Amino acid sequence: MRILVIEDEQKVSALIKRGLSSERYAVDIAADGKEGLELAEAYPYDLMILDLMIPRLAGAEVLQRIRRHNTFLPVLVLTARDSIDDKVKLFELGADDYLTKPFAFAELLMRVKALLRRGPVNRSSTLRVGDLELDRLTQQVRRAGKRIDLTGKEYALLEYFMQNEDRVLSRNMIIEHVWDQSFDGITNIVDVYVRHLRSKVDDGNVFKMIRTVRGTGYTIRSGNET
Amino acid sequence: MNLRSLRVRVTAFYVGMLAIALLVFSLAVYFGAKTFLTRSLDRRLSNNAKSIVADYLVPLNQKDEAWLVEEMGESYPPGYSDPFVRVSQGSRILYQSGDMRDPFVSVSKLPLPSNPRWLNRIRRETAPSGQRVVLYTISYQPPKGAVIFVETGSPVEPIRHVLNTLLLILSVTMPIILIAAAIGGYLMMARPLRPVVILTEQAERVGREALGERLPIIPTGDELERLSLALNRMIERLEAALAHNHRFSADASHELRTPLTIIRGELESLIELPSLPVPVMEGLGSVLEESARMVKIVNSLMTISRLDCGGEHIELVPVDLVEVVKVTLDHMSLLAEEKHISLRFTPGPAIYVAGDSMRLKQIVVNLVDNAIKYTGEGGDVSLSVTAEEKKAVLKVIDTGIGIPAASLPLVFDRFYRADQARSRESGGIGLGLSIVKAICTVHSGTASIESVEGKGTIVRIELPLLSLTTMKADQLKATSNVEV
Repeated sequence: MRILVIEDEQKVSALIKRGLSSERYAVDIAADGKEGLELAEAYPYDLMILDLMIPRLAGAEVLQRIRRHNTFLPVLVLTARDSIDDKVKLFELGADDYLTKPFAFAELLMRVKALLRRGPVNRSSTLRVGDLELDRLTQQVRRAGKRIDLTGKEYALLEYFMQNEDRVLSRNMIIEHVWDQSFDGITNIVDVYVRHLRSKVDDGNVFKMIRTVRGTGYTIRSGNET
Repeated sequence: MNLRSLRVRVTAFYVGMLAIALLVFSLAVYFGAKTFLTRSLDRRLSNNAKSIVADYLVPLNQKDEAWLVEEMGESYPPGYSDPFVRVSQGSRILYQSGDMRDPFVSVSKLPLPSNPRWLNRIRRETAPSGQRVVLYTISYQPPKGAVIFVETGSPVEPIRHVLNTLLLILSVTMPIILIAAAIGGYLMMARPLRPVVILTEQAERVGREALGERLPIIPTGDELERLSLALNRMIERLEAALAHNHRFSADASHELRTPLTIIRGELESLIELPSLPVPVMEGLGSVLEESARMVKIVNSLMTISRLDCGGEHIELVPVDLVEVVKVTLDHMSLLAEEKHISLRFTPGPAIYVAGDSMRLKQIVVNLVDNAIKYTGEGGDVSLSVTAEEKKAVLKVIDTGIGIPAASLPLVFDRFYRADQARSRESGGIGLGLSIVKAICTVHSGTASIESVEGKGTIVRIELPLLSLTTMKADQLKATSNVEV
């Protein structure tokens, strides 16, 4: 898989390249809009990561020109603005997804993977992580066959974790998916809910599935790998 | 009617000037008339007396007294005469005209001229019958015999009557003229003041809604046109300054995002490295957490600066405040549960405001978050949404630590913390209430706070109430259900 990153901030592009390379993606970097457009037209990329604020040719312009003859290339836009208006405009221009700076690399990676997969996400009615089982139809959760009672929010949180097994989910990602952006400012809502969820899921089990990744967020892991 | 308004003051001023002018004019007319009437009466009396001497007494040489009586009887009839006359020689009356009528003056009762100082002069006295009269006396020395005195006279009353009537006319017409002038002036002032009213209304709108608008220029060429031009230039400068200010904080928080991305990315990739010593892991984790807090601050600043510039991205639609509170609390209940705080809200009938539901939600989130943060284990946090006249009122009441009275006016200020140590420890960034206030402002509402230290705090949010017909409300409910 080959990914084009158009980003003028050299350190940011280096970070992205390093991270994506370690995930075995081939990454090309363009430092301005013109160069980016030339590269995008010359090579068949599988994905493009585009910063909006770039010199020589604005990100929005690049996006528009690419969309004229390539409607299939998934484009993930990086923006420093996060007003709703801008987002709507982005989708109108043909972006597939966007990420507001500053972002956690885990989040970038997740979105990249989601865009590359592009197919239906795991829609099966039962999610499994290790001996933890979540039935979407009956909304029942069992660990090692033992039923766990969850509140609505806890259920939503666990479902989001289980959909993203082994991935680090940042607090911001969790807030956006399980709550919404207006809860972003408040202090520790994610921590409190995760703590409760964890006590219900992990208490009394030797293997603790829900892990804290310091400074970043949380992840769920099955015991099989370790 | 505002007594201090320009219109009233100008009218009052010119009515006052008019009153003074009218008063001076009336006094002049009154005293002028009085002088004129008195003088002409005096002149008539002296002329009559002189002509009696010339016409009747000088010819008396050749004629006899009977002739005198007959001749004088024609001019000054013995019945009623104005003026009355009396010709006397010593104590003997040669001729005496009839009495005066209106008012009645009995001539025969007037004392005969005895004082030489009365000669050739006008004198005023009171007749025995009580009227004020004017008398004139001259003497004539016939060739033979004693001195003959001629007296003419008339009562003052008719003059006084004329003057009184004049006074009455003046004192009745003056207030009428003044009242008419006041009303007329007040109405007339409306026209020249109309542009001022328009200017004021427009200026209020410009201040309240958007600076983008300008005052209307009424091309009258007068002071008002200059004023509106000057005001427009002022608004322009104000707008530029505000835009600059707003752009600065937006740019600043925007510019901070890229370095934050790099800091975060580098730290994340470092922390992934295998077999890091524990202190390094701890240090990196701590720095990552701080960078997350910085992101929060930058985001909040961005939110505020966007709201400050008039909420350009905010679309106001009818929103049920009760529903917003209910849904938001559902999402936060565990925060209260964890501290064994009872979080109470009894949803009543829908109360609509024109708002952006995400922003309104943020108000609830921030206020409830604060309330829980500053309320101890086992305390109470309760919310209510009520409609009061034209306002929708959201109240958040807690039984927490409260805020010292000295800090109350400052809590909506940016980065203000009533208790530095405590709030920093609980992870606040000191922008929550500023955001609440900014959101209220964008919704044309207000936020206020009262608190008793150690007892609790009440935050009160007032938003303009949207009164909807039942049908429209039902429609709204239907569509919002679809969205949910």
